Amino acid sequence: MTEPTPKLFRDEAKAESVKCLACGGPIALHTFGARQRVVCPHCGSTLAPQDSGALAVLEAAARQRQTSALPLHARGTLEGAEWEIVGICWRRCVVDGVAYPWQEFLLFNPYRGFRWLIYSISDGHWTLGGNLDGAPQILDSRHHAVRFRGRRFKHFQGAAAVVTYVEGEFTWEVRAGDKADVNDFVDPPDGLSIEQASGPDGAELTFTAQHHVEPAAVWKAFGQPGKPPRSHGVGALRPNPWRRHRRSIWLSLLVFVGAWALLTWLLANGRQERRVFADNNLDFADAYSRELTIGREGTRTAIEFTLTAEPLENSWAYADVMLVNLATEEAVGFGVEASYYHGVDGGESWSEGSPRATVTIGGVEGGKYLLQVQPQRDTANLPAAGELFIPIYPAARSPTSYGLELVEDVFLVRYSALALLIILGIPMFGGLMGWLFERRRWQNSDYSGTSE
Amino acid sequence: MQPSPVHCPECGAPAPFRGAAVSLVCEYCGSTVVRTGVDVRLIGKVSALLDNGSPILLASKGNFDRVPFEVVGRLQLRHRRGTWNEWFIAFADGTIGWLTDAQGSFSVVRPREKTIVAGKVPTFGGLALGATIVVQGVPFVAVERRAASYQGAEGVLPFAAEPGLVFHSADLRGHDGEFATLDYGEDGEHQRPTLYTGRAVELAEVGLQPLRRFEGWRA
Repeated sequence: MTEPTPKLFRDEAKAESVKCLACGGPIALHTFGARQRVVCPHCGSTLAPQDSGALAVLEAAARQRQTSALPLHARGTLEGAEWEIVGICWRRCVVDGVAYPWQEFLLFNPYRGFRWLIYSISDGHWTLGGNLDGAPQILDSRHHAVRFRGRRFKHFQGAAAVVTYVEGEFTWEVRAGDKADVNDFVDPPDGLSIEQASGPDGAELTFTAQHHVEPAAVWKAFGQPGKPPRSHGVGALRPNPWRRHRRSIWLSLLVFVGAWALLTWLLANGRQERRVFADNNLDFADAYSRELTIGREGTRTAIEFTLTAEPLENSWAYADVMLVNLATEEAVGFGVEASYYHGVDGGESWSEGSPRATVTIGGVEGGKYLLQVQPQRDTANLPAAGELFIPIYPAARSPTSYGLELVEDVFLVRYSALALLIILGIPMFGGLMGWLFERRRWQNSDYSGTSE
Repeated sequence: MQPSPVHCPECGAPAPFRGAAVSLVCEYCGSTVVRTGVDVRLIGKVSALLDNGSPILLASKGNFDRVPFEVVGRLQLRHRRGTWNEWFIAFADGTIGWLTDAQGSFSVVRPREKTIVAGKVPTFGGLALGATIVVQGVPFVAVERRAASYQGAEGVLPFAAEPGLVFHSADLRGHDGEFATLDYGEDGEHQRPTLYTGRAVELAEVGLQPLRRFEGWRA
């Protein structure tokens, strides 16, 4: 028998070019046989492939060709894979009387199959979609949501989508005027879309996985001149820049707080505190004055000035301090008050203050200083000369002598606390901005909460 | 038992049956040869394959879950919405499976015990799209049901692909990406379909080599 050898299609598959049977215009066929419908870009006639490989007119049309955001047969490398636009389909939905149009570009690679690049005209955002490998679980709750692979996608928008314009090759029986109910669910930057159209077997469900693509990335991938149409608003799937790094922000917060605690501890401990001077048993009757050297010339340091008064019980002492830089004659003045009170109120004993009071001053320039101290005290309960003090309740003793101490290069708690505040402030600010971003996103959803 | 070499009753060319293969499409004349015991029977020609652009080739080799496999046959099916390919694959461990190519969506499924679903799933006619069907405790959603006819075949197949046969099947999808197919055979009015389970794959992921060449594209 001399039967022809069966065709096994093992040789290289070739792209084809045919003439439209309706308008005679050239149609390039680039999908190598997976097509179900071919819509002539020039006249819009719908053609269907026959077993012989030839096309037959299914529905003649005479529409004008329209310009889409990207041209048919443009090729581009998106996310590591090369794709060719083989079909373009415009769809739109109407919400509250406003039409929201979008353009779908059917991408093809013979080794990877098909994807959809979707351009939302109303806000200029792009998404890349493909078959969802599975079926989402519909979660029954007041706020519709679905779950897939452990992730929860919130319902964003539901609308009836209508096909308004078609050109190129399609793997399904596309037709202008086709209607489908589309429900979009989001967990930015990923989304999940459920399309429901009525077919001969009942409701046909199509599940699509989508994710956000930067407009500039699309433009670059497909070699388009200039800049992509400006996007505005947040878009359904644009990643929240404030939340994208949420985990790392909290992790770095942990690291920062840990580093802060360690640094604080090291600084507080490792400081070379130096006592500049200390004088005790000073008489309140005399003003105190002395020259002293603080720090090193040309550097700044923090000082701690301490006033001690004794005895001090339900009484106070005060020192008016003046530090005059002998080189610049600039003066730093401050007061130190030591007071200590205690008693019993309603059976509970209380106390406040201490016979020792300290003032910390930062940023003191190093150099020679003249220290002048004017002491004052409460004189109500001074012991009479030679009197043996017998405490009576409540004890009150006015101070009889005071002490002064100056320490330099002390650790400043306030700077350390400021640092902690900044460290904590960054994620709080990020959290607020992230919340505002999500609020703007959801303003375009079915759940905007604004009355139209 | 070493099987004796089998030849095509139509043209006399070698008919390389192997493993679980029951039928074979003669590479030289396109006749379908069925092995019944030690006999071979000719059942005529399955209508010709259509070039639906599959990148998979007979005798390509790949890996699925680290088990090497070879593509040993293809069944091309036609339904309302065009054709798709079920590539019959033989794993190195002696098991079999199917590599499905439906318009560039690829998946690998393996046959499972019939008793798993026997009596626990609806009939083909009673299966509603969107309905949840539990298989071994895993919830699945019925996403497609179709009546398909054999369009063409090549290589070996585990059953006799008689021309004109129509079979009924339903695709189920899980919430974690599980794939399952219920194959009801010619008559869909029973509750004992053959169960296949597996998952979607990328062609690159199964490392299939060689692949068909396409003008203007690199594999």
